[in-house]
Amino acid sequence: MAAKSYNIPELDKKLADRRYHLSDTNPEFTQKILKTSRTIANMCYQCGTCTGSCPSAPRSSYRIRLFMRRCVLGLENEALTDPDLWLCTTCYSCTDRCPRDIAPTDVIMAMRNLAFKRDIVPKNFLQTVQLIYTSGHGVPNNDVNRAARTKLGLPADPPTTHSYPEFIKGIQKIMDHYELKENADRILKGD
Amino acid sequence: MAENTEPRIGVFVCHCGTNIAGSLSIDDVVNYAKTLPYVAVADQYQYMCSTPGQKKIDDAIKEHNLTGVVVAACSPRLHEPTFRTATKEGGLNPFRFEMANIREQNSWVHMHGMWDEATQKAKDQVRMAVAKAAKLEDLVPKSVPVEKTAMVVGGGVAGMQAALDLASAGIKTYLIERTPTIGGRMSQLDKTFPTLDCSQCILTPKMVDVGRHPNIEMMTYTEVEKVEGYIGNFDVTLRKKARGVLTPKEATAKGIVGGGCNGCGDCSAVCPVIKPNPFEMGMAPRKAIYIYHAQVMPLIYTVDFDSCVKCGLCVEACGEKKAIDLEMQDEFITVKVGTAVLATGYELFPVENKREWGYKQFDNVINALEFERLICASGPTGGHLVRPSDGKTPMKVGFVLCAGSRDNTGIGKPYCSRFCCMYSLKHAHQIMEKIPGAVAYLFYMDIRSFGKMYEEFYYRIQHEGAKFIRGRVANVLEDKETKNLHVYTEDTLLGRPVDVEVDLLVLAAAVQPNEGANDLRKKFGVSASQDGWMLEAHPKLNPCGTTTAGVFLAGVCQGPKDIPDTVAQAEGAASAASIPIHMGEVELEPYFAMCIDELCAGCGMCVNLCPYSALSLGEKNGRTVMVVTEAKCKGCGTCGGFCPGGAIKMQHFTTPQIAAQIDAFFAGGEQ
Amino acid sequence: MHEYAFFLGCIAPNRYPGCEASAIKTSEKVGIKLLPLKGASCCPAPGAFGSIDLNVWYAMAARNLVLAEEMKKDIALICNGCYKSIWEVNHILKHNDELRDNVNEVLAEIDMQFKGTIDVWHLAELYYDDKICGVQKIKDSVTTPLSGAKVAAHYGCHLMKPKKERHFGDTENPMWFEELIGALGAEPIQYRNKMQCCGAGGGVRGYDIVHALDITNEKLINIQEAGADAITELCPFCQLQFDRGQIEIKEKFGDVYNIPVLHYNELLGLAQGMSPQDLALDLHAIDCTPFLQKVL
Repeated sequence: MAAKSYNIPELDKKLADRRYHLSDTNPEFTQKILKTSRTIANMCYQCGTCTGSCPSAPRSSYRIRLFMRRCVLGLENEALTDPDLWLCTTCYSCTDRCPRDIAPTDVIMAMRNLAFKRDIVPKNFLQTVQLIYTSGHGVPNNDVNRAARTKLGLPADPPTTHSYPEFIKGIQKIMDHYELKENADRILKGD
Repeated sequence: MAENTEPRIGVFVCHCGTNIAGSLSIDDVVNYAKTLPYVAVADQYQYMCSTPGQKKIDDAIKEHNLTGVVVAACSPRLHEPTFRTATKEGGLNPFRFEMANIREQNSWVHMHGMWDEATQKAKDQVRMAVAKAAKLEDLVPKSVPVEKTAMVVGGGVAGMQAALDLASAGIKTYLIERTPTIGGRMSQLDKTFPTLDCSQCILTPKMVDVGRHPNIEMMTYTEVEKVEGYIGNFDVTLRKKARGVLTPKEATAKGIVGGGCNGCGDCSAVCPVIKPNPFEMGMAPRKAIYIYHAQVMPLIYTVDFDSCVKCGLCVEACGEKKAIDLEMQDEFITVKVGTAVLATGYELFPVENKREWGYKQFDNVINALEFERLICASGPTGGHLVRPSDGKTPMKVGFVLCAGSRDNTGIGKPYCSRFCCMYSLKHAHQIMEKIPGAVAYLFYMDIRSFGKMYEEFYYRIQHEGAKFIRGRVANVLEDKETKNLHVYTEDTLLGRPVDVEVDLLVLAAAVQPNEGANDLRKKFGVSASQDGWMLEAHPKLNPCGTTTAGVFLAGVCQGPKDIPDTVAQAEGAASAASIPIHMGEVELEPYFAMCIDELCAGCGMCVNLCPYSALSLGEKNGRTVMVVTEAKCKGCGTCGGFCPGGAIKMQHFTTPQIAAQIDAFFAGGEQ
Repeated sequence: MHEYAFFLGCIAPNRYPGCEASAIKTSEKVGIKLLPLKGASCCPAPGAFGSIDLNVWYAMAARNLVLAEEMKKDIALICNGCYKSIWEVNHILKHNDELRDNVNEVLAEIDMQFKGTIDVWHLAELYYDDKICGVQKIKDSVTTPLSGAKVAAHYGCHLMKPKKERHFGDTENPMWFEELIGALGAEPIQYRNKMQCCGAGGGVRGYDIVHALDITNEKLINIQEAGADAITELCPFCQLQFDRGQIEIKEKFGDVYNIPVLHYNELLGLAQGMSPQDLALDLHAIDCTPFLQKVL
C-alpha cells in the first residue's frame, strides 16, 4: 500500500492497497448465499478437496475453494466480479467429495444468481433465455432436423411447445413474473 | 430436627460467572425467592461452589435454623455432591438439599435476547425446587461391602497398564482379552512417535510382566458374556472360547503330567490349512492352528475352528504333550469383582467406503496399519517396505491425512482421530530413514502436533525432507501400466491444483470403536457419546469414570488418544477402580424403593417389572409382601409408578414431593 | 406395459431425433410405453437458467411437471440435464413448503398448481430396475448383438450427482451402465477418470468454448487410449459435446479422434435391429460407419 496518495494515477494504481479490510466484507452476502444455495456454505474449512476435484481448475485460474472463502468472509464484490465464476461446469464432483457436506456447486449457482441481479452475466446465458421465451426451447428445431424427423416417421415438430405453441403464453407469463426477458433484453442491449 | 416444624428453606442463586448472570436477572430471582412460602432466606453469589459460596449455605443453616436448602445453579451432575456436603457441614441431613438447574436447562439455551423469559423460567424452577425442598426427608445412605477383586476388559496397552497397576496395588485382577494374545494394537506398531522407540521393545516386557504377575489372572481368547450386580459386587460371566489347545496348567488339571502347549509350533508346521493372519493385516499367512506372532503372551497356540478341517495331523505332531483337543467346547465361568475397567480400544474405519481414494480398488493404496506391518522388522517383509503390486521398493510415498476423519458426510467420522498426524510424520521419517532417496509427501489439512515434543518432531521431519502439501486429497487415479498412483488435490497455500504421482499411497484412516465394544458397554451399563465412543462421567473432572458406579474407562475406547494419553488414562482408571476396593465398602444413594407393607397386596406384578431384579416376594408378619434388595435397586421408579395399591415409596422422589413440584409449577407463582 | 409421460427436452428432438425415435421404439420392446407430453418446453437448461435465477428455474420446471401430473403419469426422460431440472425440482418442491408455495403462486397465474403427485425417472434407470425392466430383459430384446465392439461408458454428471440427493449410490466408479452396455453384446471398457465431466455443462460451452473443449479433449484422450470403438452416454447434451465437439476440437486444436458417439437408446436400437437410417445416424457429426461395420 502506498504510504499516501501521490496524485499520480500510475503510481496510485501500482501501489494500491492490497490488504483486505473488514470494510470489504458484507456479512449479508454470506446469508444471501446460504438462503439461495440451500447449503451450509458458511462451514467451509478450506481443505481444497473441491478444487482438487474440479475439471475446470487445472486449465484456468478458477478456484472454487477461493469462492468458498469469499462466501465465508462476505467478499461480495470480489466474488461477483470475478469472471472465473462462470467457469464451473456444475459437475458436482466437489459436492460429492466435500468432507464438510457442503455443496460448493450450489454456492456457485447462488453467486451467479446474485451476479445477475447486478447485471453481471455472460451473453450466452441471456440468449438461451430469449430463445426459450419465444419458442419454449433453448435449442429450437430447424429445417434440416424437421426433414430428418419426417424420415424417421416422427412428426416434423416434436409434441412440445413446437407443436402446441398455445403453451408458450404460459411460459412467457412465468418469465415475465420474474422480469427475466425484460432484464435479458436490457442487459444484452447495454452490451 | 423435629419433623413437625414448619419448613424453613434457604435459596442460593449462583451467577456462575456470567454463565447464568449473563442471561437472566439474578437479583429478580433472589427477590422473587424471598416471596415464596417457607423461604427463610435468599442469597446469591458469583460462584456458589467455591469456599465462600459453600460457607454461605453453612452459615445460613445455622443462622436461620433452616430445614432445607435450594441452590439454583448448574446441573446436579457435578455439584450436587458439593452442595450436599455443604448442607451436611451446616448440620442438616445432606438429602435436605435440592438443586434447580438454571444453567444447562436455562441460561445456556436461552442466551440471546431472552432475558425476561429466562428470568421468568428461573423463577419457575426455583419455585418448584422450594416446593420439593419443603417436603424433603432425612435419608441415610446404605453401605455395601466391596469384593476385593477387579476386572480389566481388553488386553491392549491400556488394559495391560490398568491390570498391572491394580495388581501391584495388591488387588487380584482378571485381565480379559478376546483374541489369543494380549498386546493389542501397540504390538502391531513398528516404532512410536516422537521418541522412535521400538514398540515391541517397550511393550513386550510389559506383556511378560502381565503374564507373570501373581495378582493377574490373564484370560485370553475370552469374552464377557453377561454382567450382573452393582459396584462392589459385579457377577461377570465369561465365555472361554474353545481354543482347542490346553495350557500346561489345564493339562496338569486333566492329569496329563508334563503336558500342555509349550509353544513349540510343531502343530502349526504340519497343519494343511492356510488363512490370512489378521495380526499382519492379512498380508502374511497363518495356519488353522496358529499364534499371531513369535512374541505372543501367553505362548499358547489356538485352533481356528472355523477353518480347521480336523485332519488330526496337529494332534499327532503334538504327541505326548497331548495339548490339542479338537473337540473342545466353549466354557462359561462366573467371577465376582468389585470394580471393572473397560479398555476395548479401536479399529480402523473401513476406508474403502471413501471410494475416491481407491483403497481395495488399487493395489498400491494401503492403510496405516498395513504400513506399520510392512515397515516393521518382524512384519511379513522383514521390515523391507515394498509395494503390493510388484514388490518393488517405493521411492515416492504419499500419505493421506484425515482419511475419513473430520468428515461430516455420514460416510467418515466427524471427529479428529488425534494420532494420525503424528504417526504419519513418523511414517515419513521411516521411509526416509530406510530408503535412501525416498521422498514422503504428506497431504494434510492441519498438522495437529499437540503433545510433548510433538511440534519438535514435526520440525525434525520437515528438516529431514518430507514434503507437506496443504490440501485434503480429492481423489486418486491409478496408472494401469505402472500401478503408480496420481494424487489429486489443491495445494491450498499455492492456490494450484496438484497431481502428484507416487509409488505407494498410505491412508491415515480414521479410527472407530472396536467391533463388539458397543455390546460390551451395554452389558456394563455404560453410555456412548454422540460419536460412538464410550461416555466418561465428566469430560474434564471425571474422564476415567462412567455413569455406572464401579465401571471405569481406559484408552481409546473412550475416544481417540495416543499411547502416552492411553497409558496415563489407564493409570487413572486403575487408581479410580482401586479406591472402592481399598475403602472396603461403598455408600449407595438412598434412592431405593421402599415397600409400605400395610398397603402391599403381595400381587408381585412389580417383581417382574423391575429391570434390575431388585424385588422379590417375602413373608412379613404372616403376609406376603414385596421385599427390596436395596443394593440392587437403582431407584428408577418403574415399580413405584406401576404399583396399583400405591404401596411403593420412591425415596427422595416421593409422590408428595413430585406433586408439590407440579403444583408449584402450575400455580404459576400465584399463591 | 408400464406407461410414462415422455419428456423430450431440446437436444434430443431438435438435434438428434434418432434418440427420440429409438427411445420410443426400444422401450416398447421391453415393456415401457412412452406417451407424448404435450406442450412441454425446455426443462429449462439447469446451467443457463439455474445460473440466472433459480426461482424461474423452479417455476418453469414445475410447469413441465404439472403437465405430467395432469396426465397422471410419471415422467421418463433420456437426458441428464433434463433429469437435473425435472427430477430435482420435483424433489425440492415436494420437500420444501416455502419454495412450493412460491412456485404455486406463480403457476396460479396460468391456472396451474404443483401437487407433487408424480415421480421422475431416467429411462436408463428404468431399464436397470428389475421391477420395471431389468438387464436380463434388455439382453433378451437384443436381436443383433453388438459383439466385438469396445464401448466407453460416459455416465455424465447430473443423473447421479450430487449423490446425497440422488439414489444411485457410488459416483466414483459405478458399474451399472456398463452392465446395460454389456447386455447389448458390446464390451464395456474402463478408461482413466471415467466419471469426469464432458465439459459442456453450467453454461461453459457457451461461455468459453475452448475451455469446455479442453475438458472434452482430456476425456477423449483417455477414451482413445483405452481403445474404444464408440462412446455411449445418457445425455444428448454430452452427446453433442463429444460428437460436434470432436469437429470443434479438430478445428481449434488439430486433434482428430473420429470416435462415434451414440446415445444408449441409439445403441439399444441397433442391437434390437433398427437400421442406421431408422436412427438418423447421418445427423451425427462423427461418421458412425466404421463402428457400424464392426458390429452389424
